[in-house]
Amino acid sequence: MNYKSGICTFCGTGCGHLLDVRGDSVRGVYPLQGHPVSKGRLCVRGWNIHELLNTNEKIQTPLVRKNGKLVEATYDEAIGVLVDNLAKRKKNAADEVGFLASPRSSNEENFLLMKLARAVFNTNNISLDSDPGHRRSLNVMHRGTGMAGMLGSLEEISKARFILVAGIDITKQNPIIGSEIHKAARAGARLVTLDTRNTQIARLSGSFLQVRPGSYKIAMAYMAKVILEEFLTNADFIKRYTSGYEGFVSAIKTLKDGDVADKTGVDLAALKEVGRELARSDTAMVFFSSGISGFDQETIGYIYNLFLLAGKIGREGCGVNPITGINNLQGSYDMGIAPDLLTGFQQLSDATAREKFNKEWGVKLPAEAGASIHELLMAGKRLKAMVVVEHDESIIMNVNEVRDMDFVAYIGSFRNNFINYAHVVLPIATYVETDGTYTNTERRVQLSKKKLEPSKGTVPGWKLYTMIAEKAGAKWGYASPADVTAEIARLTPSYAGISHRKLEGSYGIKWPCNKENPNGTARFSLDGVPKKISFAPVDSSFRVPRASEEYPILLLIGEAQHYWHQNNLMKKTTIPLREYNATLLLYPQGYVALAPENAQELGVRDRFPVKIVSPYGSMETMVQVTDKVKKNTAYVAYFIHDMVTKFFLEHKDVLKRGEDATIPVRIVKV
Amino acid sequence: MSEINNTTIPEIATIEEIKDEIVDVKTFYLSFDERKGGKAPQFKSGQFVMCTVFGAGEFAVSLPPSPENDRFHLTVRKVGKVTDALHELFAGDKVGIRGPFGNGFPFDEIKGKNVIYVAGGIGLIPLRSSIMHVMQNKEKFGRILLFLGARTPRELMYQYNLKDWKTAPGFETYITIDNPVPGWDGENGFVHTLLKKVDVPVKDTIAFVCGPPIMFNAVIKELTGLGISEESIVSTLERHMKCGIGKCQHCSIGRTLVCTDGPVYTYRQIKTLGEQI
Amino acid sequence: MYIIKEDQVTNIAQELHKEYQVYGPVLEKETRQTMFVKADDAGEIDLELPIPANPAKHVLFPQFERIMSYTYDRKNKKAEIKPDFDDAPKALFGMRSCDLSGMLCLDRFFLGQEFADEVYRNHRKNMFIVTNTCVEPFKQCFCVCTDSGPSAHEGYDLNLTDLGGEYLVEVGSDKGKKLAEKMSLPKAGDSHKKEKEKRVDRSVSLFDSLAKDNKAWISRVVNRVTTGLIDEKVWEYIGDQCLECGACTFVCPSCSCFNIMDPVTGADSADRMRTWDSCAYEGYSRMAGGHNPRKPVEDRRNKRFFCKLSYSQSKKYLRPGCVGCGRCAWVCPGDIGLPNVVTYIRREIQK
Repeated sequence: MNYKSGICTFCGTGCGHLLDVRGDSVRGVYPLQGHPVSKGRLCVRGWNIHELLNTNEKIQTPLVRKNGKLVEATYDEAIGVLVDNLAKRKKNAADEVGFLASPRSSNEENFLLMKLARAVFNTNNISLDSDPGHRRSLNVMHRGTGMAGMLGSLEEISKARFILVAGIDITKQNPIIGSEIHKAARAGARLVTLDTRNTQIARLSGSFLQVRPGSYKIAMAYMAKVILEEFLTNADFIKRYTSGYEGFVSAIKTLKDGDVADKTGVDLAALKEVGRELARSDTAMVFFSSGISGFDQETIGYIYNLFLLAGKIGREGCGVNPITGINNLQGSYDMGIAPDLLTGFQQLSDATAREKFNKEWGVKLPAEAGASIHELLMAGKRLKAMVVVEHDESIIMNVNEVRDMDFVAYIGSFRNNFINYAHVVLPIATYVETDGTYTNTERRVQLSKKKLEPSKGTVPGWKLYTMIAEKAGAKWGYASPADVTAEIARLTPSYAGISHRKLEGSYGIKWPCNKENPNGTARFSLDGVPKKISFAPVDSSFRVPRASEEYPILLLIGEAQHYWHQNNLMKKTTIPLREYNATLLLYPQGYVALAPENAQELGVRDRFPVKIVSPYGSMETMVQVTDKVKKNTAYVAYFIHDMVTKFFLEHKDVLKRGEDATIPVRIVKV
Repeated sequence: MSEINNTTIPEIATIEEIKDEIVDVKTFYLSFDERKGGKAPQFKSGQFVMCTVFGAGEFAVSLPPSPENDRFHLTVRKVGKVTDALHELFAGDKVGIRGPFGNGFPFDEIKGKNVIYVAGGIGLIPLRSSIMHVMQNKEKFGRILLFLGARTPRELMYQYNLKDWKTAPGFETYITIDNPVPGWDGENGFVHTLLKKVDVPVKDTIAFVCGPPIMFNAVIKELTGLGISEESIVSTLERHMKCGIGKCQHCSIGRTLVCTDGPVYTYRQIKTLGEQI
Repeated sequence: MYIIKEDQVTNIAQELHKEYQVYGPVLEKETRQTMFVKADDAGEIDLELPIPANPAKHVLFPQFERIMSYTYDRKNKKAEIKPDFDDAPKALFGMRSCDLSGMLCLDRFFLGQEFADEVYRNHRKNMFIVTNTCVEPFKQCFCVCTDSGPSAHEGYDLNLTDLGGEYLVEVGSDKGKKLAEKMSLPKAGDSHKKEKEKRVDRSVSLFDSLAKDNKAWISRVVNRVTTGLIDEKVWEYIGDQCLECGACTFVCPSCSCFNIMDPVTGADSADRMRTWDSCAYEGYSRMAGGHNPRKPVEDRRNKRFFCKLSYSQSKKYLRPGCVGCGRCAWVCPGDIGLPNVVTYIRREIQK
């Protein structure tokens, strides 16, 4: 049988597939009908994953920079250079050394990278390469319920009677989840989409409320207010299961009806009705983007509070569901890829947790939290040495800082622009060439088995990290990724019951998996929760970004839609690239989408050059005239090289607002 | 069809000479390595070939040479990865050629008729073969008129041919430039406006039209307004093509495949295809 | 007509294995999914398995295939091309009649038009086909509505029908006859033939509960699709639900669109690859330079159903393009598999 079962590693859905393995290559892919999430479906990316696995842009051999040029080297030599450069900074590692991990790496790889950074090279400066959007979701969920992950279950979408999709182009980003939502709606669930853009799921929804940029939070707060004012809450539920209710009530009290209509641009009666329907339906779920294009923490707090208020948390068919864009984003946080976290969201600052790691690893971990690599780079040239793993984007944001660094190591399977700045390059096997587990957006830990021998003697990531650690004098001695998982299980309560043996032949186990839940946990459940779940503390500021006479147009930053266009993996395919690259192929220098009314006022037609001027800077780009944006809002594609490396760096505070990021601008004809 | 079966596997040709035409457009003269004397395959005006740029890929391109006694060549505009790579090549470099494919222009049916060519910009490339053929067989046709439009004088294709065509007896050439520019004392305006200024034969006339969609639609409106029937207006369509032999289906429009049923269609056919031009 | 004992039926596959690569329905053990694949050992093939998740199409039209390789020496101005056609003898054992119908569409399309496709011809030229009658339909099936089952009536070398304890072996070609004789199979009698008819009739009658009204409407819908008398709103409704994944085309036994690309394999060498492509994709018809004549998604959906359900396409295939296997309904994330599309068009007709 040449078809071998596995997990698609493009996005956070974690669909099951069968790979057509012949000889030393993967010649095709077919969907897996029994998989509980994907149920025999794949999206355009998944259907063409063999193109990625056959790319000629794999890193073939270790490289070391000599006299400015990268030359081939042995693993031993390259690892030696890496270890020398990091070991000599061990004393000041907290200041000078950073690890930029990848949300694409397996749990085993990320766990070992985390161990390498902390236990071997003495730094807590370890973070993910994409914006920490998902962390904001995890913070809200964890603080409220103790579960740092999606509260609902993808398998239960068909059981939700009411579904709210907020600010996520889900049929493009996580198509199979989008499919599940669409099918639920066709089977009778009430589907409502709240978005600034008219997406496909908006067109498939019973109601589409097109909000103004930056006003998701207000819309959520208003629905909560309606539920309160019309006494649609279940007082027993609130009393019995929740805390912090009064705080939330007082936060939304200040919201005025007139303000809401004005700021959201949505018909109040319609919004009111949606609030009522949410409260009255038996079961309800909400989906929003988490990761590169996630909301700010306040908005997520309001979404969570709204659903808690409506009593739609902790039961079958219910849940607050942040959706991760990258395959192992959830798993990366689970593995402690954050300056202040150990595995399973255990806090580095928690001495008991730290002591457990110290004991297991025979070290004394630095107790003070590090900083994220992104922050360190933004802060100037403090970092001296950096290890980068499988950078998921093809653009490097802080190119100047990276170029000036004393030492950069790049570790990965596929070529990336980072190699141009690296002093050492270490290839690792692709995910089909080694065993590894990946945790999808609903906390489902799935085992992906080795299907091929690594090409040309390339070593798998877990092995490479072990080699590096042992070269630096540590004694790790793992014989397989299963050994690594066993250690993860020992150190991580939520992964305590997970092992490769248990995962083998299954479609994954959703954490927490431990003595109490030996088969995992489908969803966050109210049954047996030791303490009350709490409302998220939120503020009562309902400001929205405003255009002015000088800057009359609100510019939206389209991270979500364009994320895949510049993705390092997508760039190594043909058909998925062709499909996701569509608009950028037409507008290679990027574009700003303008409503026809605005275009007419400006006297520009499609593809005309324009200048975008903000209070902080300006850039030139082309116009795309489309009725998909409303008048006086404009939409600009993120992930265009010049925008990322120049214009947007001037607006870093704005970008922290994620999906809701807007900049008031003026657009002039060139 | 050629005697060598090159329908799936290209045959190797050598670039003998490269000529710059206008910005981003070059003409490549080819000889064929595996054929006696490097002789080119036989083809009909309006047909196309698939050209492989080694290491980059393959693209479809119309054949501009006269089918009778012209050097075999391709005129190619840089529009994407593969054509960009072709533009990087030098004389002596190799390319791969499959074809010719497609139906070609209907010359037998139009004998004795007046012939009008209307081309916008690089729309002249696919019409050149036909123009050369008609010129060489002038006696078989009625009046022959060429209407040509370009954005600027520098964007006029095949200037070396234009010079001859302008003075060739029995051949009426009209050229227009979109906007007035210094050094241009000819007509200004879009090419369809020329049709109003000239006494265009309507009876027993066939019109060949090629150019960008906006120009095409304006010209069609003008020609049909003059009374030329939809069956007598002929164009050649471009589509994304991969195989050239009617298998990959990339070029399907409505019920037809441009590579085997086209690329030459009458306007009446185009209208029923139900897609944009 | 011959007869063979049930426990000996895979002997046919064993016999074929001496000369051919043998493909057939095999169970993927970990996931319990039936796949139509090359059997390492003919004994893996199990005729009792349900209809395979994938049609046999990939044997003749692989998902990802090299059709030639070439080298180009820029310095010395040399180029060399090596065709890479796969003409290994292949036997398809236990193929379902819907999948054979799909293959016949491909035959007529790839070999019967103005040009023959060399790549396909090489795959096809040494092929032995053994079909397996569906004495029991599966839940997504509607081959009775598309004239492609439950028992094959053309295009096979041997056709097997489970008569309970033994299989009827019908001969469809000289090649088939030779094999049956070589194996010294006992001749079947009239009673066997009658038993087959009985079992096929029973199978057809079971479709009544599966292929409900929408499926029986296929011929009316064929008429509508051909004449183009379908309201654009219906196509929009269908197009809105298309997630543009391409799955329907990939799993369809008669879909044959492909893409060609030339990945570089070294400093001066490249392969020419053929890969499955889909009319659902926006980039599929986009031309270099960006112009796309078929931009709206409903145009592209309309295109696929035109291919499956119009007379003009049927003329190329000598039968409808849809073979009633129902796989598109399995894999479609938008819930617009062909049976549902037929339902939507039918709703409009009935209005």
